[in-house]
Amino acid sequence: MTALTVTELMKSYAPGVRVLDGVSLTIASGEFFTLLGPSGCGKTTLLRCIAGFLQPDAGRIEADGTRLDTIPAHRRDIGMVFQDYAIFPHLTVADNVGFGLKARGMKAAEIAPKVVEALRMVRLDGLADRLPADMSGGQQQRIGLARAMAIRPRLLLMDEPLSNLDAKLRLELRADIRDLQRRLGITTVYVTHDQEEALAVSDRICVLQAGRIEQVATPFELYRTPASRFAAAFVGAMNFLPARIVGGGLEFAGQHLPMPGATAGAVEVAIRPEDVALGDGPIGLSGTVSNIAFLGREATVQIETPFGRIEHLAANPSADLLASLGRPVRLHLPAERIAIFAADGVRVPAAFA
Amino acid sequence: MRAVHGLDVWKIVQALVWAMLAVLLAWPLSGIVRASLLAHDHFGLGNFVEVFSQPRHLRAIGNTLLVGAGGMVGAMVLGVTLALLVVRVRLRGRAAIQTLAVLALVSPPFIGAYAWIVMFGANGAVRRGLMDIGITLPPIYGAGGVMLVFSFKFFPNVFLIVSAALAQVNRSLEEAAEGLGMSPMRRFWRITLPMITPAMSAAALLAFVLSIADFGTPQLIGRGFEVLATQAFQLYAADLGENPGLASALSLVLVALSMGLVVAQRRLLRRDVFHGNTLKPRPPARLAGWHQVGAHALAYLIVGIGIAPSLVVLVFSFRATRGPVFQPGFGLASYERVFHSVTAPVWNTLLYALTAMVGIVVLGTLIGYLVTRRKSLATAVLDGVLMVPYVVPGVVMGIGFVAAFNTPPLALTGTGAVIVLAIFIRRLPYAARAAATALRQVSPSLEDAAISLGLSPARAFLRVTARLILPGILAGGMMSFVTAMNELSSSLVLYVSGTITMPVRIYVAVVNGDYGVAAALSSILLAITAIAVYAAFRLSDRRQSALVG
Repeated sequence: MTALTVTELMKSYAPGVRVLDGVSLTIASGEFFTLLGPSGCGKTTLLRCIAGFLQPDAGRIEADGTRLDTIPAHRRDIGMVFQDYAIFPHLTVADNVGFGLKARGMKAAEIAPKVVEALRMVRLDGLADRLPADMSGGQQQRIGLARAMAIRPRLLLMDEPLSNLDAKLRLELRADIRDLQRRLGITTVYVTHDQEEALAVSDRICVLQAGRIEQVATPFELYRTPASRFAAAFVGAMNFLPARIVGGGLEFAGQHLPMPGATAGAVEVAIRPEDVALGDGPIGLSGTVSNIAFLGREATVQIETPFGRIEHLAANPSADLLASLGRPVRLHLPAERIAIFAADGVRVPAAFA
Repeated sequence: MRAVHGLDVWKIVQALVWAMLAVLLAWPLSGIVRASLLAHDHFGLGNFVEVFSQPRHLRAIGNTLLVGAGGMVGAMVLGVTLALLVVRVRLRGRAAIQTLAVLALVSPPFIGAYAWIVMFGANGAVRRGLMDIGITLPPIYGAGGVMLVFSFKFFPNVFLIVSAALAQVNRSLEEAAEGLGMSPMRRFWRITLPMITPAMSAAALLAFVLSIADFGTPQLIGRGFEVLATQAFQLYAADLGENPGLASALSLVLVALSMGLVVAQRRLLRRDVFHGNTLKPRPPARLAGWHQVGAHALAYLIVGIGIAPSLVVLVFSFRATRGPVFQPGFGLASYERVFHSVTAPVWNTLLYALTAMVGIVVLGTLIGYLVTRRKSLATAVLDGVLMVPYVVPGVVMGIGFVAAFNTPPLALTGTGAVIVLAIFIRRLPYAARAAATALRQVSPSLEDAAISLGLSPARAFLRVTARLILPGILAGGMMSFVTAMNELSSSLVLYVSGTITMPVRIYVAVVNGDYGVAAALSSILLAITAIAVYAAFRLSDRRQSALVG
């Protein structure tokens, strides 16, 4: 079932500068949907248009089949979690969580049990009467989450909720958010610039750039089959190497791989570091190890080749590999792992004959 | 708060603010411009020709710049010295020094002038005492006296601004310089001083603008030494040969001087170039031996002289009098006279100041909100327009108000309302600035959160944002009340016998030589001021920021 539909949304802050340039999306009921992109890509603007804090210049936003963009923000029934938590410092934890219920005219006796339940959900039971001032960022964001959930909104919006937290708390709260969202089945739109976070929590990810959608896909599809050079570079690490398509084949690293019907021109060959294999194979290259970073369960190895620098990710690196700095090495790129992007960034099917 | 349907509340507020500024600012000031262009019933630049050709007026322009520069230099020397001592040296009674400086700041401006006359005037108590032991000082009257009074009157402004900036200097920058082997003296000149230059130039500008706009001090102490403010007032208020056209032209010259300085300072320094950080401030240094004694003596001397006028006035209010003449010994005769015959000014002052304060707080908060949260070209212009009352001296505003509100539909001349409105427009910028500062400390997402949870934009503002900035706003309101209560120059132009205020009555008493009544009224004014300032302190944790705004 469709929970939210965005159609041809346009928004400019200054004439000629389109922050949203015709964005269309469909989000299913209960889905965890992430807007991913670099700063300035329009993801927060889109979120604020859905929330009602910004009015789009053109386009429609519908929720459950009814028009949303014509309703004022305070009547949209949307829960929102903010990057800076936005916890009311003059109210106790309980009053913060019960704020939306009180605004709906609910009686104190009805609010109290709902607040207790919401606080238990975010594992803050027992802190109801505290003031938020002396609480940690992680606790404050849990209050923000409980407050947004307490009104049982039709839609939960989260604007970079983890980016002000330190790494350990971020992982912990990330797991909690996902768990809670699944249990309550609440449709969620999540904004982040952190691609790893997006991969970890999302049902689907929408990659935005310069106000346009680059790709909408599940985390697996997005990582394995990025539709554009931008999506490939933004999500995960990726090696890009120059190549050409000439005479119905790919010319790369001094080799000619037949690709019948491919349009001639300059292209880039892309491959993930973990897909680069050491040793000999069909698309083989020689190079020299120029840098090694040992990260414990894995190591990244930089290899300078005549065709450009290639990063290789080695799982469970051996002592031999870690001692290979400055040595010559052979590597190969498995054909089924290669992606090819045309000069305009669009993916070219790598159909080797 | 962009309401999707219906009219945005803040659009209505903005329209009302602009309408108010048109009536209370543009209309009176345009009246002054019109009057200045009418010389002897002829339209033209005759008045300006007269200003720039008559030696008397040229001298007034020179004198204005002289006392402006003198007041600025004096206030900077005293204020920066005190700031360095308080922030950088471990002093006993730092809180007391800061409190005394604030008290010196809020005491009525002309009380200083009056008290200095009492001490060092022709019959001054201190001067006569010194004469008895063989030290002869000239009476304080004239340019030197005016500059001296300005220096001790305005140094607290400099102190508060500069000490706030000093406390925010990034500690690690100085430590880095130390690590690179810079001597303490060089470090101060090369690192610390450049960091506080923006604050110092802002403080210097403020001292200059306050000095050239001041009316009471040169009027009382000048004795023939005329500045633009006093000359404009005399040309305006003279029983014989009054010349509103010429007074208006002189007023405009004065406004142009202030405006030019403000623009020049803004050009020279972008605002807030250096940002402080939240690191722990540099701990004050512990000085040894005589340096420690000297630092204490200097700091207490500066605030001591700053607060002396208020103490002198307080002491003199309890001296025995017969009629206007002081007698040996102490008594309550002055207060008796005040409570028997001059209660009206007290009630008028309280009524006007309270009314003006309510208006200033409400409008100042709304304008502060528009400027910080509804950023647009229009609100940026609004922010700029609010600089205008800051550079228009009270005498000038008063003259403009008389001209603007003399005839229907707004025939307000002679009412209390016109006095209140003049104070209101003069002090509004300070409240708007204070509200904007308070608002910048409150995250806009708090209001968004309240809206998303179901409160209408107006209710979200009242329940969350207004609630959070309330302490700052109330503290600012108390300070508005204090400045409103102590307003002399515009009220002096606008009062009639039924609407006389305490500052005006004190001025009249001093001019008539009735020092007992002046001292008693001044003491009452001081007492109310002290209570209001104490209330502001209690309301605001960030004590000094409420005052600097």
